[in-house]
Amino acid sequence: MLFPTFAFGLFFVVVFVLNWLTRPHPTVWRAVIFGSSIFFYGWWNWRFVILLLWAIGSNWFAGNKINSCRLRGAQDGVRAWTSIAIASDLTLLGVFKYYDFFAVELSNLLGMGNAVPILELTLPVGISFFTFQAMSYVIDLRRGVIEPMKFLDFAVYLSFFPQLVAGPIVRASEMAPQIAKRPDPRRVASAEAFHLILRGLFKKVVVSSWLASNLVDGVFADPQGHSSLDVLFGVYGYAIQIYADFSGYTDIAIGVALLLGFRFPINFDRPYSALSLRDFWRRWHITLSSWLRDYLYIPLGGNRGQNSDMYRNLLITMLLGGLWHGSTWNFVIWGAIHGVALIIERSLPTERIHPVVRWALTFHVVCFAWIFFRADSVSAASDVLSAIIGSSGDAKVLNAGLIFLVLASIGVQFVTKSASARMGSWMNRRPVLIQGIAFGMGLVVIDTFGPEGIAPFIYFQF
Amino acid sequence: MEKMTNAESESNRDRRRNGQGSPAGKVLVAGLAGLAVALFLNSSALLADATRQPDGTGRSVALAVWRPIESVASSLGLTWPRATVERLLGRSEVEQAITLLLEKIEVVATSEKDDRVTSSVQEEQEPREVPGEELRRSLKPNWDADNPFQLWVTGDSMVRFFGDTLVSLAETSTMVQATSEPVLSSGLSRPDFFDWPTRLAEIMTKHDPDAVVIILGGNDAQNIRAGDGEWLERFNEAWLAEYRRRIGTVMDLVTSDADRVLLWVGQPPMREEGFDQRMQLLNNLYQVEAAERDRVQYVDLRGLFTDSSGNYSRYLPDSAGKLVDVRLTDGVHLSHWGGQWLSALLLRELRRSPNVDELWVR
Repeated sequence: MLFPTFAFGLFFVVVFVLNWLTRPHPTVWRAVIFGSSIFFYGWWNWRFVILLLWAIGSNWFAGNKINSCRLRGAQDGVRAWTSIAIASDLTLLGVFKYYDFFAVELSNLLGMGNAVPILELTLPVGISFFTFQAMSYVIDLRRGVIEPMKFLDFAVYLSFFPQLVAGPIVRASEMAPQIAKRPDPRRVASAEAFHLILRGLFKKVVVSSWLASNLVDGVFADPQGHSSLDVLFGVYGYAIQIYADFSGYTDIAIGVALLLGFRFPINFDRPYSALSLRDFWRRWHITLSSWLRDYLYIPLGGNRGQNSDMYRNLLITMLLGGLWHGSTWNFVIWGAIHGVALIIERSLPTERIHPVVRWALTFHVVCFAWIFFRADSVSAASDVLSAIIGSSGDAKVLNAGLIFLVLASIGVQFVTKSASARMGSWMNRRPVLIQGIAFGMGLVVIDTFGPEGIAPFIYFQF
Repeated sequence: MEKMTNAESESNRDRRRNGQGSPAGKVLVAGLAGLAVALFLNSSALLADATRQPDGTGRSVALAVWRPIESVASSLGLTWPRATVERLLGRSEVEQAITLLLEKIEVVATSEKDDRVTSSVQEEQEPREVPGEELRRSLKPNWDADNPFQLWVTGDSMVRFFGDTLVSLAETSTMVQATSEPVLSSGLSRPDFFDWPTRLAEIMTKHDPDAVVIILGGNDAQNIRAGDGEWLERFNEAWLAEYRRRIGTVMDLVTSDADRVLLWVGQPPMREEGFDQRMQLLNNLYQVEAAERDRVQYVDLRGLFTDSSGNYSRYLPDSAGKLVDVRLTDGVHLSHWGGQWLSALLLRELRRSPNVDELWVR
């Protein structure tokens, strides 16, 4: 079920009513939210509900075992159950997301055609998100930083529909207290929620879709047929498109959760205003980068030891972060570019460089990496790069409107948080009925300016 | 009591001012009011969306819901803001142009079966008889950089994944000018969504291409509405007859010029079995209709995109035996490699004629 659809609107009105009506009855409320989330996920494909249920059951069971072993001081048991849970999660990911990639690469390496059977399984939506949440739960239990959750609480946590298919990746430590504590039904953060939902829809339906259909898709389909300037702006356009698409989804998810009485962590903080790659990763997909930091980079050794150890840890983290996005060499290269750039940045006194130059360098490294992220193959990415350097094609698509949209979208990143908050608080000061009507009119404006038909969110495929 | 209510109300207002939210019941009412505003202001677009849905229960329910809402909204003048914005964006002008063209085509189409669109052309020029294998030899060989060979690649969303590549490949000759024009979600089943005969008539008149590549069908396995307004159930006898008539109309329209050839590209094998069977049925129709016409060539993609067992596969070996992914994860569209393979095949097909082949040799 896609957020910007009539079906979701109808679904959400029903869930909103049930949520607040059943909130005084904890067990009923949990059953309602869990059932709604399963319905939301099953709307796309019922068969994959089994996978979600497996992830819930196996991780909850393993979590309980980890906790009881830890309390008994049985460290071997803790290790064993943690390993079993993580192996189960990684097997899900491995079979559905990575098997074919490795099978094809192995077959090509052996030079034996279809030497290794290819499964061609459909990738379950959101599998990368809920398996990462599940892994964080069992690892946090092992570390003793959280208490085990009751089954229905854990089921609600892992399947909660606003963040189920494309994040943000919410930790159990953030969700468990919110599930346990009944929010005040007299204080629903409607203004903030309406504002976030409208902002998210605008980013997705207008900015992302418009850039995709009028600039990015054409440039990446045939870079050599476009002028160098077209291709360059096509890459800038993709940087904006993917930001608008993904942060738009997150805005809607946070807004929807707010209406149900939950507050998710922020996932984006004006990433294209970053003055360094480190800064970028503190602002882009924050819940994933903090997950990778806490559950991969630091366990690998983090900043400890010699510089070479730190560089190795950075590179491994970024390579696996790239692979998390998809099972192609392009994502590996995307991760490698970020890893290498982070290493270079840490090994040089970059703070001496003028901030404008630092911003330009950071933005262009990020854009350079996006080329591999967006292109279908490494050779397609090479075509884009060579077209930027020197294309013989004619300018086909670039016009003043597109240039303005790209530049304005980058410029908006420098609008301070307080300015953005002021815009949101305008709605907050209005009576709730006016908020609702403004919300409705906003929906009409967005639908009017958006193209026909809504493409799925880019991050659904991860 | 009243005092308490006032105090409560004041306290609620304070909370709201301080950003602490509103009661859930009021939020629900406000949200529903907002949605109602959106539904009425947007009712014309919602009705248009419902009209374009495939025939079935969903469409009937949607029409039953949106028609009265749109009727009330338009009588209250609530649809004009959106209509005004769309006019300012130039969208209504496009619709108007299409309507005018549609009317023009319908005037021609009132005559007999398939010769309707070609009749005016035939009056001016007697079509040459061209045997099947010789078809492209009839093409004029006098192309040069100033008078390039015009290639038009068009169809549904499938074109997005090979059209631009074919254009690039074709334009490696300075004597070729190629254009790719995909129309997403389009087909021959729903002219109310996109009218291909109208658009093609426009292309033929304005651009007079020498060769046209068309791929359609991915969105066509649905009930269609006959000229008398009756809905024809997918794949029943009347449906097949009507769909064949539409294929024939498009083929005749494109080849109305005796110097033009049409490559009709069949649907590739699909991952989902039922969808694949439906596409194969449509492919049979395209093939039969193409076989009945001299300057139409059907291009079968099954051989190109199936594995050694003749089945759909996302990964296929290239000429060096290396496995590459030729299809997207949706099991329908072509990947970058798939697009390159298809473009190479289509260019080979075009070059089979000696005169055309010279374009890339000279």
